[in-house]
Amino acid sequence: MKRIKILLSVMTAAAMLLPTALQAQDGSSDGDAVGALWKHATDAYSDKRFDEAIESFTRISEMEYGSAELYYNLGNAYFKAGQGNISAAGRPFASGELGRAVLNYRRALKIDPSMSDAQYNLDLAVDYTNDTDGVPEFVLARVWRSLRDMLSSNAWGILSIVLLALMLTLAMLYLLSRNIARRKAGFYGALLLAVLFVLTTLLAASQRAVERRDDQAVVVCRDTAPVHSSPDSETKIIREPSQGVTVTVGRSLGEWREITFADGEKGWIRNGDIEIIR
Amino acid sequence: MKGYFLRMVAALAAALSCMIGTVSADGGGVSFKVDAPTITPLGEYLRVEFVADARPDDDSFEAPDFAGFDILAGPTVATGRQVYWVNGKQTVTESYTYTYVLMPQAKGTYTIGAARISVDGRSYTTKPLPVEVVDEGERRPAGGNRGDTSPEAHVAKDDIQLRIKLSSTSVYKGEAVRASIVLYTRTSIAAINNVKLPSFEGFWSQELPAGEDSSSREELNGKVYTTYLLKEYLLYPQQSGQLRIEPAELTAVAQVVTQSNRGFDPFFGGQEVHNVNRKVTTPEITLNVKALPEGAPRSFNGAVGQFTMQGSMPPEKISVNSAASISLTISGRGNLKFIDAPSVTMPESFEIYDTKTSDSIKVSAVGTSGTIKYEYPFVARSSGEFRISPVEFSFFDPSKGQYVTLSTQPMTLTVTNDGSVPEMPSDARMMTSYGEKMKQLDRDIRFIHTDSGDLRREQRLFMFSPLYFLLVVIIAAAFIVIYAVMRARIRENRNIVQRRIKRANKVAVQRLRMAERYMKQQQRHSFYEEMLKALWGYISDKFNIPVANLTKETIREELYRRGVSAADAELFCEIISRCDEAQYAPSTSNSMEEVYADAMEMISKIESIVKR
Repeated sequence: MKRIKILLSVMTAAAMLLPTALQAQDGSSDGDAVGALWKHATDAYSDKRFDEAIESFTRISEMEYGSAELYYNLGNAYFKAGQGNISAAGRPFASGELGRAVLNYRRALKIDPSMSDAQYNLDLAVDYTNDTDGVPEFVLARVWRSLRDMLSSNAWGILSIVLLALMLTLAMLYLLSRNIARRKAGFYGALLLAVLFVLTTLLAASQRAVERRDDQAVVVCRDTAPVHSSPDSETKIIREPSQGVTVTVGRSLGEWREITFADGEKGWIRNGDIEIIR
Repeated sequence: MKGYFLRMVAALAAALSCMIGTVSADGGGVSFKVDAPTITPLGEYLRVEFVADARPDDDSFEAPDFAGFDILAGPTVATGRQVYWVNGKQTVTESYTYTYVLMPQAKGTYTIGAARISVDGRSYTTKPLPVEVVDEGERRPAGGNRGDTSPEAHVAKDDIQLRIKLSSTSVYKGEAVRASIVLYTRTSIAAINNVKLPSFEGFWSQELPAGEDSSSREELNGKVYTTYLLKEYLLYPQQSGQLRIEPAELTAVAQVVTQSNRGFDPFFGGQEVHNVNRKVTTPEITLNVKALPEGAPRSFNGAVGQFTMQGSMPPEKISVNSAASISLTISGRGNLKFIDAPSVTMPESFEIYDTKTSDSIKVSAVGTSGTIKYEYPFVARSSGEFRISPVEFSFFDPSKGQYVTLSTQPMTLTVTNDGSVPEMPSDARMMTSYGEKMKQLDRDIRFIHTDSGDLRREQRLFMFSPLYFLLVVIIAAAFIVIYAVMRARIRENRNIVQRRIKRANKVAVQRLRMAERYMKQQQRHSFYEEMLKALWGYISDKFNIPVANLTKETIREELYRRGVSAADAELFCEIISRCDEAQYAPSTSNSMEEVYADAMEMISKIESIVKR
């Protein structure tokens, strides 16, 4: 019996060490330069020098892989800069800052889907666009999605591995113990953990698919961009999405890209008017 | 009788009025004025009247110098006397008029000098009056000398004109502009019919009260006209752009005097008077309305003009649940009627009541002016120190072309509670004055995150990566290996027990043989000792229970559990009891042979029931 306990603790310890092992990866030298640039950018934002903040955050994003916080801040800087940039027609976001803000919020959420500040600001920014509501989601689908977005696919994956280890430990308790109570606990515990393991694995797989997708794009233009019925500027303009509208991209033909709106409507837009969320 | 009485009253009244009239002329200042057109065409005579409202001293009138004019007639003196009865009070006005008829000699501006009179020894003079003489070119020949003698021909096309005059041609939206509808005429007008006034679309219009003197003379296209001011409006443009003002229209009835064709008219000297109807319309006019410039302050709500604001604040200390108010007075000139009450932000715990508005607004030719007073009553519901932020009011000043913001001083208000008044609990307060929930005033994005996060980590997917599968395999393999090892060890343990059970019978038999030897040697103590060892040891080995844990009770239970009948289990325990008793008892209550046989029988019986 003692042996089982030791085994259990060893397995748990291994599971706990896993995330740390995953994180302990590369590390490089010019950390100070990036740190200084980060401080400069956040100070510029605090002093309402938003254009400067945009420039610095963008430079960091070019130097490093980037974090959810970085893209969130960049989105904020674009949004604030755009609010003060009034066009001749009296509209804010005169240089297409709204589209950039939405793009960066979506990038932040792609890295960390549980980042509530980014979600809040994205919802607020989207209110300024003329984005249509998507097809109403089934309740279960919504619950599934919000559950999935609580963690990244990596976190779900690690959790599923830990659950697998615990489940097998309990299964061993069931198989090897001669005590009826222990055997019972082991059996039902293993059964519950098996269900949780399957669930987390599915969530991880689903989240991974979301994180891997690169068919989502945001309209980035000055005001509105025309969407034609065919890849040809002579054809009818079926819609005019404003900057910041999120679409799904499809086929590509020359300078044209097929896009699908949230409500299912399809059309063709110029490549330059959209940017893929990566 | 009645007639006589009336005559008496009339005579009395006349006498009284005479007396009062003299008195009033003595008491008040005497006015002495010159009345003449300020503009006159060359070749037409003009009348100049000097009017005094009191009786001048005899021969005291001194005529002025009429340089540039020939005196055709005058002075003729006319006296007038008017008696008014108003609410039982009598007023008498007298007038003495000296009239000259003059003919200008040449084009230019000439001044009629000051005339002088004296009343009761005091002398009065008129102001010098400049008169402009205009050359209108060739005069129209008198109607009678022409072949065409129809009355219409006597009124030329431009003799009657209607105009809308604007005080300004370019204004800002909301800035007042005065529009006057003026009739220009060179003939005498008997009547005006069918007047159609414009509706002033795009404007908010207000009619101005008619002035006393509505006629004057003016030059238009080099000709002198008599003008009549028909209507006057203040217009406030409500939209920007080129605003068209609809034309006004009317039919004027001109009076024309012609020579009679019936030359033998005995009384009227061969002259006839005709009425000529003439429909006139104002020319099209547009007003350029400029939109207000961009960059209006937040507090701007459409006020245009020049204003001042005065705020009166409540006393600095008030007690809980007592009413107080903030009042604002906006005064000035501009579109006062379009001003909304400036918004005042009060602390949340104040109960705010409806704003009271009172105004006194005057409309005059220069625009709307006056004051508006706003009162913001409130009741402080909880004690503490509250800051009341300044109240702002913005307007657009068209003369400067910029926005002006006025604001009151910020103030702190101390609300005291001497303990006698219960304050409302905060929840209830919220319920009464703010509804159930806190309102979302405005939305803004949340602040940036100052922590950079892990910028350097490449986003590697762990799920379904080789590492993931490796971990799954390692865990599964570990499980299998550990399980196999553990299982083998458990099996081994079980084998040891099995052997002990197998050996149990053997050991018991050996012990029993030993006991049999002692029985033969009649060593009672050793016999029973060996018997007990054999019995306890047998159960211990057989059921894998340590000897230390064994009692008769546990043995009985264990045997029963393994399918031995209760009676046999009881018998087994009884044999042990008998051995226990006999071991130390000196007398032999039962023989050793008997105990030995029972034990042998019992063990073989258990062996047969409990196979393994």
